[in-house]
Amino acid sequence: MVFDPVEKLPLPIQSSYMRFNLTVLLSLALLIVAPEAYAQGLIDGFMRGQRKASLAIVGSQETYDTYYINTTETKNPNLGTVTTQALTVVGTYGLGYDLDLIVAAPYVRTQASAGYFPKQEGFQDVSGTLRWEAYDYKFGKTKLSWQFAVGYSMPIQNYVNDALVAIGRGSQNLDGRTILHFKAPNFFITGQYGYIRRGQVKLDHIVNIYDPSQLNPNSGLKVNVPDVTELIVRAGIVTKVFTIDAWFQRQTPHSSGTDIGPGVPFPTNAVGFTRVGATAYLRLLKQFGLTAGYNTTLDGRNIGKSTQLNAGLVIGHWTANN
Amino acid sequence: MKIRSFSISLSALLLWMVGCKEPIIDEGVLPFVVPTSVDADGGNWRTIILKSASDIAVPQPVAITSDAYKKELADVKNGVLAATPEQNTAVNYWAAGGVLRWNQIARQLVAKYNVAPGYDYATGQTTTADAGNPYAGPPFAARVYALLSVAQYDALVVAWRAKYQYNRPSLEQQGVVARVPILDVPSYPSEDAAVAEVSCQMLAYFFPNEVAFLKAKATEHKQSRLWVGANVPSDLKAGEDLATTLMTKVIDRAKSDRFSAANDPGNTWQTALAKSSYDQKWKSIELPERVPILPLAGKVKTWYDSTAIFQTSPAAPPATTSSEFQKALSEVRDIANTRTRDQWRIASYWDNGPGTYSLAGLWNFLVEDLIRQDGQNELRTARTYALLNRAMQDGVTASWRTMYTYFVPRPSQLDPTIKTATPIPNAPGYVADRATVSTAAATVLGYLFPDEATRLTAQAAEASLSGLYGGTQFRFDADGGAKLGTTIGQLAVAGAKTDGAK
Repeated sequence: MVFDPVEKLPLPIQSSYMRFNLTVLLSLALLIVAPEAYAQGLIDGFMRGQRKASLAIVGSQETYDTYYINTTETKNPNLGTVTTQALTVVGTYGLGYDLDLIVAAPYVRTQASAGYFPKQEGFQDVSGTLRWEAYDYKFGKTKLSWQFAVGYSMPIQNYVNDALVAIGRGSQNLDGRTILHFKAPNFFITGQYGYIRRGQVKLDHIVNIYDPSQLNPNSGLKVNVPDVTELIVRAGIVTKVFTIDAWFQRQTPHSSGTDIGPGVPFPTNAVGFTRVGATAYLRLLKQFGLTAGYNTTLDGRNIGKSTQLNAGLVIGHWTANN
Repeated sequence: MKIRSFSISLSALLLWMVGCKEPIIDEGVLPFVVPTSVDADGGNWRTIILKSASDIAVPQPVAITSDAYKKELADVKNGVLAATPEQNTAVNYWAAGGVLRWNQIARQLVAKYNVAPGYDYATGQTTTADAGNPYAGPPFAARVYALLSVAQYDALVVAWRAKYQYNRPSLEQQGVVARVPILDVPSYPSEDAAVAEVSCQMLAYFFPNEVAFLKAKATEHKQSRLWVGANVPSDLKAGEDLATTLMTKVIDRAKSDRFSAANDPGNTWQTALAKSSYDQKWKSIELPERVPILPLAGKVKTWYDSTAIFQTSPAAPPATTSSEFQKALSEVRDIANTRTRDQWRIASYWDNGPGTYSLAGLWNFLVEDLIRQDGQNELRTARTYALLNRAMQDGVTASWRTMYTYFVPRPSQLDPTIKTATPIPNAPGYVADRATVSTAAATVLGYLFPDEATRLTAQAAEASLSGLYGGTQFRFDADGGAKLGTTIGQLAVAGAKTDGAK
């Protein structure tokens, strides 16, 4: 038996061996917060490794001048172009060799170029996710792993949720997903499917719209935010110095929802989209790298047809190729 | 093994989450209310459109000792025992109160049709409303609620008069055990059939595309009273007949109230705009510009003394060049720049813009709880609504009249940097109709529910200032509106004091 000094050290000393670690950034492009998209796509297929951590700070800018009412494209001269900027901090920590914790919090500012919608700004939703690698199969230098993740997110503050120009929809969300990740020495592909259960939100006003299914006209302030399912496929090239990948994401409303319309509370809208994007990571120093990404909306439902650019710093050791 | 079972249970959890369905809107369940009084003198209460309840003669019913009646009664008794689950659902739904239920239906229809003709990106055109698909904006909505409540009230006064004239005993007194609480009044004519029929006809007049839906609701309402064991068919028939007679008079009133000209087919509002004396004139700040909707709604016939109302119409606000006005403008700007979350909430709560049942609908909703707490019977509920909704319609009319006399701009027209929490209504701002309507409503309700008067006054004050918080209105808009609302509310209270109800 080989003596491993780290194993025998008491915990505080051991943690000083903790290495920063990254890979989160592979999926950062997604998480950078379209107001309606929240911090989804946070999860990638690369496990951090026990007691390894990374921290990423990413800025993004997203714009749209066209949006979808249900699935029909429209523009609104009283809205102009909507620009959303966000600064997101993501931390990842390996609780065990097969268990990671991922925490993220964005600060968001959004404004329209025309009309009289006020700018909205503030902390959006904090999210925490546990990811567990249930199985891994190694075939020579390739590896296939099957993972599960459970996440929860909630608004950090009581921001305005029922407006066309808003930083979020204000619901508490429970996210469950399963991930299949295949990795060869210089190539990976990850597929994941998840369900995001969105809780009720409290409107500022009593529900006062027409709903044909209502037997007892509603008496309250609370409405349900429709749940969505999500499919993400991501593939790319990994080397010691850089990573480059392309991805596809589709969110589909699962429960019934409303469409954007006069008086219709925005949180009850059925929101979906199909986006494609690309992400690049460049390692500059051992513990330090840069990331950049681009993504655009192919089609959507009750959401802006947005295009996003992002860039960020990643602190921690990059172990995607370990 | 352990890992496998864990991942299987995780997968199961995922599938379970995917499988759940949830409603968009959470619905409350209304409790049954046992009315605290039968108001046996209700037949003598002053009617609104009828000169008095005796204008409509309800024929004498057959005696309860007759074979025809005994057969009807036996059928109902058997029907109660054989009621299906669907019938019981209908029974429970309508047992919450016919007047309340039809008020809710009216609110739903107003919300459905409250979609302004707007800009359509696909065609580049401004869409227009057609006759079968009316735009149920604030003046239209207030009129729906007022005429509906008035029709219900007059029908119920006539029904009450006949009930105590003929005194046909209630079915409960004849040994029928009902499934829900039934008001212990003589059963002939049926108050529910009267309410169902007037409400159906009144709403069909406003929403011609909904006739089939309304008729189905009315039929269910009437039938539910047989299924529950509250009425026999001849009770229903008499209620229906008195309602039909009444409705010809109500529809006449509706046709002659000048509302049909309110959309201003001749575009006279532009002449009025040119002639108006205010130094800066309102214009549409939407892209593309839209003509105002129902600019002549201020000429609609009022329920209360129009001379008294218009005498107290406020004078023009300070000119835009005055320092007073500049102070008011910077107040709006300051609030818009530093708007708190609570100010946003208040603005949003009282907005009730397009697509909703409108502000008058919100007050109709809010008063539901008061009516239930008070245990009001059908007749008294109808009176509450008739008093409230007439005052609110007059409030809208008087505000519209002022708006289209002075054509005072909205704050954002004068300072485009003022961003608003709620959409800016495409209409002049002075006076604030939400201040007028809410103050009138709170004044009437404060009289009817004295224990709640303080809270209602506070609500109206909040509603009045909500436009200022939202950035769509000046403080003087709110003050002028509240003053007008107080006058109208007091006229309504004076009427309520002498209508015979205690």
